[in-house]
Amino acid sequence: MNAGRQTTRRLAPRTGPSSICRSCRDTISRTYASAAAAAVRTEDQIAQHIPPVAQVSPSTSYAVNTGVVLSRPPQITRDLHPFEAAFFLYQRRLNERLALPFTRYFYFKKRTPADVEWKRKMRQRLTPARDIGRYKGYGEEAWNDELLVGADESNFEHQVGKLLEDAEQSGLEGAADTTGATKVDHEPVDKPMPRVTEADRQHDTKSLNRALQRTLYLLVKNKDGQWQFPQDRLKEENLHGAAKRIITHTGGVNMNTWLVGRVPIGHHQLDYPEPRPSGNLQEHGAKTFFMKARIMAGQVNLKENQLDLQDFKWLAKEELKNEVEGSYWRSVKNMLAER
Amino acid sequence: MNLSTFRPIFRPYKKPPTTPKPRQPIRPAQQTPQHHPFSSTTRLQKRSKKSSGTDPRITNIRYHLSHPLTPRPLHFSRTRSLRHWTIHRAWLLFLRKRRAAEERELERQYMSMRSACEHLRLMDGNGNRVTEEEGGGQGPDPARLGAKGREVGRLYRSAMLKRGVWGSVPVEYGRLVTDFPAREGWNYAWSAR
Repeated sequence: MNAGRQTTRRLAPRTGPSSICRSCRDTISRTYASAAAAAVRTEDQIAQHIPPVAQVSPSTSYAVNTGVVLSRPPQITRDLHPFEAAFFLYQRRLNERLALPFTRYFYFKKRTPADVEWKRKMRQRLTPARDIGRYKGYGEEAWNDELLVGADESNFEHQVGKLLEDAEQSGLEGAADTTGATKVDHEPVDKPMPRVTEADRQHDTKSLNRALQRTLYLLVKNKDGQWQFPQDRLKEENLHGAAKRIITHTGGVNMNTWLVGRVPIGHHQLDYPEPRPSGNLQEHGAKTFFMKARIMAGQVNLKENQLDLQDFKWLAKEELKNEVEGSYWRSVKNMLAER
Repeated sequence: MNLSTFRPIFRPYKKPPTTPKPRQPIRPAQQTPQHHPFSSTTRLQKRSKKSSGTDPRITNIRYHLSHPLTPRPLHFSRTRSLRHWTIHRAWLLFLRKRRAAEERELERQYMSMRSACEHLRLMDGNGNRVTEEEGGGQGPDPARLGAKGREVGRLYRSAMLKRGVWGSVPVEYGRLVTDFPAREGWNYAWSAR
């Protein structure tokens, strides 16, 4: 160790403090420390081995990029698995058997219109629940309390339709009008919007009203015609600072976005076929670190984008697989949510 | 003989008669006027001096909650109970598979984050990978520098800062995922100004 330090000391004045930087000098001292015993004898040879400054600093480098995985969260609940839907219906019908009877007078005052209407409807459908069909848990037919396979009641649309029908009707539709009273106009019931939208049917990949059950990811087409997440070279900034800048540079300011945390959710390394010169270094590839962001409102506008982007798409995970390159897909697939 | 069989199911709750206690002197703490006393009793009932003891609404609730027609216990036939058991087991199996799949997905996402962070930690200013000795600390001490100093893992250290991370969670996350989409659809017209 002593010998090594001596070597360093002897080397330092020879090379001069101005011609070689400190970190390089440290590197040299460390490299030759083990061979110190030999170095003491052959100082002149070592001096010849010191390379010029330009080559001492590492000649290789990688471009460091930040990518932004801008996603629209799911808007509606997922479709139930067929087994799940069947099981829930089975349990709800069993509940009709196991729950206490509906205590009408606790909820409706006697002889009020609501009470009368409830009694009327109950007489028609014979089961308190409005959407799961007739349930007979007692009596001679008690064994026959299960629905058959493929019954209408197991259909989600049918259940929704039954609920709407119950809200719209008063139970007097079939009865003959004996009172001669004027017909009462009811306020129309708001029907829910369909779960499959117009954009779904037209497969409008620019629309954010599409695939409402899924997370949609923003994919852009760069100037080379490749589809990938919006990305840019890192300047003197943090990853999350760069991510905010990239979002604005890609889609303009009219997007309500939120950057989720400061930790990258994934990375992709691209190795160039041959190194490209960058300054006095040779770039061997590019490393991209992906930051996660959410979009809450607004839409991408590529008109004034500063990243030379040509086009954009909002795609779900499986659709994304068909657009991007194979190696890119293998890097990003693990960080994307299934749903 | 147990007479409780013949008692009606519902009886209004009455306190057993007790000997009247001597009136206690009112403590000063109770004399402070309360403009809005916490009470669910209606004003009229409160004013009438002869209180019957029990609120009729409580009586009503107690009456309706103890329904005489309690559902009889389920008695399944042999095949029906076997079918029920099979359905139940299938549901447990389904739940287990789904939970395992969810856990695997979380694990995939976590490992993706972790490997990205490891690359950041062992990356110097030029984007090259350095060795473990030259890299800085990880886990609980991300601020520890390695042999090569500050240039290695600069992005990693800034990514590990937690200050203000929860400061700006948008209010839109308060919206629940619903069965049916919103009537007006996606808000395309949002603008920053």
